[in-house]
Amino acid sequence: MGWQAFLISIQVTVVATVMVVIVGTAAGLLLARVRFPGIHVFEAVLMLPLVLPPSVVGYYLLRFFGAGGPIEGLFGVNIVFTWVAAVFASAIVALPLMVQAARTAIRGVDPVLENAARTLGDSEPAVFFRVTLPLARRGLIAGTVLSAARALGEFGATLMVAGNIPGSTQTLPLFVYDAVQNQDYGVANLVVALLTGMGLVSFIIIGRLDPARNK
Amino acid sequence: MKERRLTVDIHRRLPSFTLDLSLEVKEEVLVLFGPSGSGKTMTLESIAGLVTPDQGEIILDDEVLFRRRTGGEHVNMPARRRGVGYVFQSYALFPHLTVLDNVRYPLGRDSSGRERAVNLVGQMGLAQLAGRLPHQLSGGQQQRVAIARALARDPEVLLLDEPFSALDPGLRERLRTDLRALQLERRLIVICVTHSVEDAFALGDRLAVLRDGELQQVGAVGDVFRRPSSMQAAEVLAIRNIFHAHVASATADHVTLEWDGLELHAPAQPSTPGDTVPIYIAPEDVKILYPDRPALGGLAVNQLDATVLSVENRRDMRIIRLSLENGHELEARGASYFYQELDLSQGASIRISLRSEGLRILHEEESS
Repeated sequence: MGWQAFLISIQVTVVATVMVVIVGTAAGLLLARVRFPGIHVFEAVLMLPLVLPPSVVGYYLLRFFGAGGPIEGLFGVNIVFTWVAAVFASAIVALPLMVQAARTAIRGVDPVLENAARTLGDSEPAVFFRVTLPLARRGLIAGTVLSAARALGEFGATLMVAGNIPGSTQTLPLFVYDAVQNQDYGVANLVVALLTGMGLVSFIIIGRLDPARNK
Repeated sequence: MKERRLTVDIHRRLPSFTLDLSLEVKEEVLVLFGPSGSGKTMTLESIAGLVTPDQGEIILDDEVLFRRRTGGEHVNMPARRRGVGYVFQSYALFPHLTVLDNVRYPLGRDSSGRERAVNLVGQMGLAQLAGRLPHQLSGGQQQRVAIARALARDPEVLLLDEPFSALDPGLRERLRTDLRALQLERRLIVICVTHSVEDAFALGDRLAVLRDGELQQVGAVGDVFRRPSSMQAAEVLAIRNIFHAHVASATADHVTLEWDGLELHAPAQPSTPGDTVPIYIAPEDVKILYPDRPALGGLAVNQLDATVLSVENRRDMRIIRLSLENGHELEARGASYFYQELDLSQGASIRISLRSEGLRILHEEESS
């Protein structure tokens, strides 16, 4: 029972983190390096899940992915109450953290270095992969760890859009909720300790990535 | 072999500033001289393709790097294809790559690229440092790496932005000599941005004086300094201490000048006794002597009486204008904390020394 929730959590977290890292890094690059009209609105929209109640995020996801929503209309699939919905719920709430981390990390890379790469024959993608990415590496890894930790801990939006189906969409946070409801404190303690430990480890890793502490 | 030629004619308008210049540069070192904010760096960036002018034309040999004229076809070759070597002001070495990998960066990943990088690193005297990271290098070593990297793809044009500003004087001199040798050896078109008079003299064939985005004067370095075409150019060049003197004698280690009744000693430099030559007295090398302290070493020579005309305090230095016994006016510059105990009020009589290193004979050079 608990093992299934653990495996689903890992699966959801890994897939969500991969999505968040790609989308969040791209958005961070855009925010750090390109000026365009409406940049503040764009940034605000990306940051919204940080402050909205999980129920509101979940509601948006339901309308977007659910019956009669644009995704069903376009692709004819309905992912609501599947583990894929849990992935999107986790990804949306973790995305702002990745965007923030990526933007800060990329801003820390001197644009002169990117110009140097251009004069040395690099195309724009080459500039990104050979200069920007390696130099922003620490910040991006820290953002990835933080996003993964947040994705792992996602509860509210997941509950609304993916439900709490044991063996299918029940992740560890939902499992804890059920265990407490059923007064199964032994199992609850175990899972709570596990999630707490993973959170602690995440922040220890992030702390170690801070270049200011290594010098 | 056909001589290389870079033609630049660019116009770029910004809210606070307009860059408007045209230049023709051959296989030579052109020094782009001007105060900060005069558009020097923007000119280099335009040539390299890092900024786009509003209008104009940049042509290297027969190849159009940039062209935007009303009615004409637009050309804007991306920076990566222009083949222009660029040495950035802070060198812009990739901090995550070793010396060898920095130099190898623009070359292919194959073994011939590696071989070429190893050769270049050796030529620049960096062989023992090949495995180091940029932060483990001194300023002069970083500069060499930056030049080696910029030359890796064998560019025709080398652009340098304030290449010596972060270096010690002794090192500057050596690197200037090296750069000169490189230019000749590789037949480079070199444009070097600086605001140092010393660099301009030591490095440049020609000097282009830029102010507020406009060219004030272009010509042989000595000519420009000796005969500024306008007050603006003279202001940019900050040349005041230029006089004419006779070469009284010249030996292998020493030149004696006769300057309207005063005898001056200068270090050896090419000159012919009997000639009247323009001389430049670096204001930094005009030292005011304390009457109660012995004047030793470099201060023992070229001692003169002077009268203070005015003292101007700048942020980090003082400019002291003096009148000399032979009727000339001379400018002295020093850190603002110099001479605190001396009376420098207007009309005060003082004794000064012109350090001989600061006396330079400006040579006639053919204008091109």
